[in-house]
Amino acid sequence: MRQFLSHFIFALIAFVPTAVIGQPEIGDVLIRNGTLLTVTKGTLENTDLLIRRGKITDIGKNLTAPEGCRVIDATGLFVMPGIIDAHSHIALEAINEMSTPVTPELRMRDALNPLDISIYRALAGGVTTIQTLHGSANAIGGQSVVMKLRYGTLNPSDLIFEGAPKAIKFALGENPTRIHGAGHNMVPRTRMGVEFVIRNALTEAREYQRKWDEYNEQKKKKGFRGAPPEYDDRLETLAEILRGNITVHCHSYRADEIVMLLNVCRDFGIKKLVLQHANEGFKVAPEIADFGAMASVFSDAWAYKFEVYYSTAYNAAILTRNGVVTSINSDDPGVIRHLYHEASKTLKYGGLSRDEALALITINPAKQLGIDDRVGSLEVGKDGDVAIFRGHPLSIYTVPVMTIVDGIVRFDREKDPDDMRIYVDPEERFDQSGFESPESYHDCLGTATATFNQLFENR
Amino acid sequence: MRIFVANTIWIAVGALLVLTTAVAQDKELAPVSDTYAIRNLTIIPAPGRRIEKGTIIIQNGLIEAVGENVPIPPKAIIIEGDSLFAYPAFIEGLSKTGVKSPGEEEPGRIEDPGNPPPSRAGINPQRDVRDYLDPNDPTIKELRCAGFGASQVVPRGILLPGSAAVILLGGKTSDELVLKPRSACYSELTSNRTVYPSTVMAVLAKWRELYRQAELARDYAALYATNASGLPRPEANRTLEALYPVTTRQQPVLFRASKMLDIQRVLSLQKELGFVLILADVSEGWDLTEMIKASGARVFLSLDLPEDPAEEEKAKADSLSNPELKALVKRRSEFIQKMTAQAAAFDSAGIKFGFSAMDTKYSELHKNLRRMVEAGLNPESALAALTINAAQILGVDDRLGTIEKGKIANVALFNKPMFDKDAKVMTMFVDGALYTCFEKDAHKKSASAVEGTWRLTAQTPKEEIALKVVLRKSLGKHYGGTITGTRMPEGIELTDVTFDGKTLKFTYDFLLEGQPEEVVVEGEVEGKTFKGKITVGEYGNFPIEGTKDPER
Amino acid sequence: MKRFVLLVNAFLLLFAIAGEAQVPKGSYDPVALVGATAHTITDGPIENCTLILRDGKIEAIGSNIQVPADVRVIDCKGLHVYPGFIDSGTRLGLTEIGSEPRTVDYNEVGDVVPQMRALTAVNPNSALIPVTRVNGVTTVLAAPQGGMFSGTAALINLHGYTPDQMFAGFEGVVLTFPSTSRSGANDKRKPEEISKAASKAMKKLNEVWQKAVEYNKLDSALGDTKPDYYPELIALQPVIQGKMPLIVEVHDAGDILRALEWVREKEISKVIFAGVSEGWRVADKIAAAGIPVIAGKVLALQGRAYDRYDRAYANAGIMRKAGVTVALRTNEAYNVRNLPYNAGIAAAFGLGKEEALRAITIVPAQIFGVADRMGSLEAGKDATLFVCDGDPLEPATNIKYLFIRGWDIPLVSRQTLLYDEFLHREPGLQKP
Repeated sequence: MRQFLSHFIFALIAFVPTAVIGQPEIGDVLIRNGTLLTVTKGTLENTDLLIRRGKITDIGKNLTAPEGCRVIDATGLFVMPGIIDAHSHIALEAINEMSTPVTPELRMRDALNPLDISIYRALAGGVTTIQTLHGSANAIGGQSVVMKLRYGTLNPSDLIFEGAPKAIKFALGENPTRIHGAGHNMVPRTRMGVEFVIRNALTEAREYQRKWDEYNEQKKKKGFRGAPPEYDDRLETLAEILRGNITVHCHSYRADEIVMLLNVCRDFGIKKLVLQHANEGFKVAPEIADFGAMASVFSDAWAYKFEVYYSTAYNAAILTRNGVVTSINSDDPGVIRHLYHEASKTLKYGGLSRDEALALITINPAKQLGIDDRVGSLEVGKDGDVAIFRGHPLSIYTVPVMTIVDGIVRFDREKDPDDMRIYVDPEERFDQSGFESPESYHDCLGTATATFNQLFENR
Repeated sequence: MRIFVANTIWIAVGALLVLTTAVAQDKELAPVSDTYAIRNLTIIPAPGRRIEKGTIIIQNGLIEAVGENVPIPPKAIIIEGDSLFAYPAFIEGLSKTGVKSPGEEEPGRIEDPGNPPPSRAGINPQRDVRDYLDPNDPTIKELRCAGFGASQVVPRGILLPGSAAVILLGGKTSDELVLKPRSACYSELTSNRTVYPSTVMAVLAKWRELYRQAELARDYAALYATNASGLPRPEANRTLEALYPVTTRQQPVLFRASKMLDIQRVLSLQKELGFVLILADVSEGWDLTEMIKASGARVFLSLDLPEDPAEEEKAKADSLSNPELKALVKRRSEFIQKMTAQAAAFDSAGIKFGFSAMDTKYSELHKNLRRMVEAGLNPESALAALTINAAQILGVDDRLGTIEKGKIANVALFNKPMFDKDAKVMTMFVDGALYTCFEKDAHKKSASAVEGTWRLTAQTPKEEIALKVVLRKSLGKHYGGTITGTRMPEGIELTDVTFDGKTLKFTYDFLLEGQPEEVVVEGEVEGKTFKGKITVGEYGNFPIEGTKDPER
Repeated sequence: MKRFVLLVNAFLLLFAIAGEAQVPKGSYDPVALVGATAHTITDGPIENCTLILRDGKIEAIGSNIQVPADVRVIDCKGLHVYPGFIDSGTRLGLTEIGSEPRTVDYNEVGDVVPQMRALTAVNPNSALIPVTRVNGVTTVLAAPQGGMFSGTAALINLHGYTPDQMFAGFEGVVLTFPSTSRSGANDKRKPEEISKAASKAMKKLNEVWQKAVEYNKLDSALGDTKPDYYPELIALQPVIQGKMPLIVEVHDAGDILRALEWVREKEISKVIFAGVSEGWRVADKIAAAGIPVIAGKVLALQGRAYDRYDRAYANAGIMRKAGVTVALRTNEAYNVRNLPYNAGIAAAFGLGKEEALRAITIVPAQIFGVADRMGSLEAGKDATLFVCDGDPLEPATNIKYLFIRGWDIPLVSRQTLLYDEFLHREPGLQKP
């Protein structure tokens, strides 16, 4: 009881909101004598890791701690790079704009919610960086946010991973056809329609780009008088994709639709592509590798809809063995707490090595998000994002004990109060719990599923 | 001799006034004179100033004089002010006082939810609140008798419902109410959940796009106006036209942002686009004072505060283990305390703010102000926020905000100092007209008039809806009740019931196609009959009437 | 005999490679597993152990067993033998693809339908079954869901071509106790509405139970003649008579307490609580009532925003420490194969390795009254077990052999066949 209170009080002190305006917090930490799983440069036993001003400055033995630096004794513990989840929907107040199938003008940054308790729960699972995305209701969805789990801040901007390349969500298959085709009787209702919607949007964007380029050229001429073309944020954003400034992350399942997308991207000169989920990616691994696309997949989710019925848990291993940079993602606020366990399943399903398995949740998603110069491995010069485990992270018995972001300890199992909410609901009652149905997970549709049920039932 | 004639003339004029105004003024007789002298009272003409045993002269709708030993004009109606306290009538910055619903939208499914008619999507900046004002709306009287003389009101609706206007809370026609038209372009981060834009990120994307389109259209219109030769005719678009003054920073945007994240979203939008911003209905701003200050945005803080149920809950046994529950209740109380101390925090940060009464129960306004003062808000700052600061933010401080010669006669007469627990508004002067607010025994009589079972029917275009409403006295609030009826076989608890002796208003949430829609029923009670209107979310309003069951 | 089996397997494998997904058949011949460490569960580990499996049973087990001549010997040196894992709550066999309603058979129309039998609706040929058993889960409870009295659940072994061949000897009536919880993020009802709905449901439950008791009384009073046909009440008779347990699905702490009170008041002699997500809040009370619990799923989210992130992981351990009998379930359909990992994480967060293993072997066997036949490695029990190369709760461990009631099950599923086909696809990128 007393312990509970002291933890609680500590939490109040420790989690006073950080500066609302300004730079994200950075810190100094010396991690001593741990087993370092660097991912890119092997395993180093009994080695120290020093983080100064948020960056890894030193890896070696018997490092000295600078003045005022926090020291963590990692003897007997495993130290790995902070886990990266390339596909999540946490920290968002809304996920799916379901009214229409093409909405690239949306910026998920506008919907960021730094108060989401799921952020803390992810930290407790060793995750430090995520990509949080628009849902999969739309063939072309909104622009996603790559963010660090700097839980405790009130300012959404503080979460954003500075300098991360822009990214956008596409979706193929059952989800968009169910919401728009079945739900609103709008194209797309079939996979044929999905391809058309994407080609159509990109073609219109080309046309839009041409008109504006022409107008801007004409405007330079002396004495030019003319009307500007209509300004359309949607087509502007699509034009940005065509210019190669936004990476496409495409939710896709079936082998045929993956190939369809590769061809569409080729036709429009889109090179930066990451296939999300790609449950049947293994069936077209050679094609994906040939294109140079990457894949972010589930460990073993399948059969909850038809397009994932012919899946296999060996997907990640097959893709890896065929030369595709592959990551494992959660797409779920519960699974994000044990991504390390999801990665460990590849030891069984396809016999990946331990470093290969760890790469699926560290350096590989970092590459997919274009931030591998900053995170994804324990190397001098990279960000001080570290997860410390009691027990090897790929063992079922492991327990995450500490998670550090930019050199700031943001999760410490020793000092982990029960109630980690930042703001509370002034009208809350305390006699009510809430439990998800056992069928709800990995559906990327969030609340869209419930609305779909209503739509479907009303027919 | 002269006096006699003068008096005769005045009696005649008075009689005429009675005849002409008797029809418009339902049961109220017209005043005999437009000159008033309130004497011998304590006057607080502005925050920090005080006149003991002073006099206020009101004439022609304006303050003619205020001070000690002020001569009283002969035709003045004299009001003895001993034991009264005069304050400048309060001003609030955002509400829907006196605003009717825009009326029924065309019903029916929208074929393409991605391209709805702009009005269904909430894109109506061209609407003007003046078209929806109803001088007889009972909310005007309610707010007035809470001590308010002016209000910035906005059209009902979502996203961009239209332009606001500053109104005086008393007048015979809607035009008469208006003090300053088109005072701001009103916006909120709400949406129609079934069409584009439905989510917050789509709302903001749409906002940006409209702004940019308005800038381009404005520039092109200017180009076209100078010399149209050879140029294609600009597309007529009243929606974008309504936004031109926003893009030129001539008209501010009055943005409703209550919660901490919405406030930051709006500040972010403002930083990106550059419009002049007034934040209103701010409830969770205490951690954002530095950010708000840096942005230069003006602020109206919400007068709404949640109750702290901790006391009520102490009685209930619970399945949760006690130390956990105690800690949770404590956290909640602390959060509520932060909300209550919000105004004090803004004051300490040196931000000049006003208050807004949007969605606040008018009967709770004074209690909430007292709670804020108890939580640390300097009473003088509170008064400033209600008066001169609000006037400055609205740009009407040359005419309102203090009791001084030349300004509009908006005065509130309290029976006690305004922050006193038993303080009541006895009389209001708005635009120089006198309104009596507090009548003894009126409340007692009406108390039982509304309790009981009411059977009401409402006529919608589709069908007739039958409702059975059971009202009762409730702990803490004034009234509570349950409602059953067409498509509501299980009783639904009413969320809010108010009755002021004449007007009964209650709200409840109805699950329409799975989404909770707020239903408001409001109307007049006369004995055992009720007549009014029922408003269902944004679907419009319909007439409703009925009777109360006889008591056993 | 051995060579013949090998030939048959090779022939079938050829079929698989040719593209036609065929799951090879199991074999029933007697087998000796020699030299493994046998984890008996009930009697500790036995090093260098030999197990003789014959006629569907463990004929003998020990470190000094003579291997008979007619028996196929499998060298298990360095390997481990465990009893087949039991998942005490799934929808396996009752659904194929969640989003396709015509494949969902666990949720029948109606609030009070205890007569709906899960057993006969199980699809023995579901693609989900082989995928499950290759990870060591051999036995599951196939449970109906939805409404109030959802149906009658059945324990099935994951081998057989008809439900009768799969039946493992236990059935129980499922009651979803009136709930005061929100059913997920999409449930936007006000708290008052939810509690009102729960009290209404409670009233209905009591009415139904009353009727069932009366019906049962009438039935015994009438002797040979039968009362009028009333299927719902007939289905509840075994529970009232104490012959069949009532499986009560309940999660919220307050609901658990109410359920404990209710079963006590109604004097229901055989009760099992399932789900029990907030059991950690009221563990003492559950222990005092002596009611066994099927906890899960372990890898779920906790029920309140102010709950610790690991409450669901630690739930089973907290209840066990308080003295509650705890079995584990996944409450899954497609990934019942993850039962061992749910157990492993529960172990890491407080349950402990030994108890976690018991929670998926002997404890569910005891709860379902079939401990004479399964749940541990003992002579006379069913030969339902597997051989693996390490700790089966660790994902890195591989199952080498699997037996269900003496049948040697090939470790082939659609997912392994897809791996075989696509690891190195022919044709690859270029098709001549």
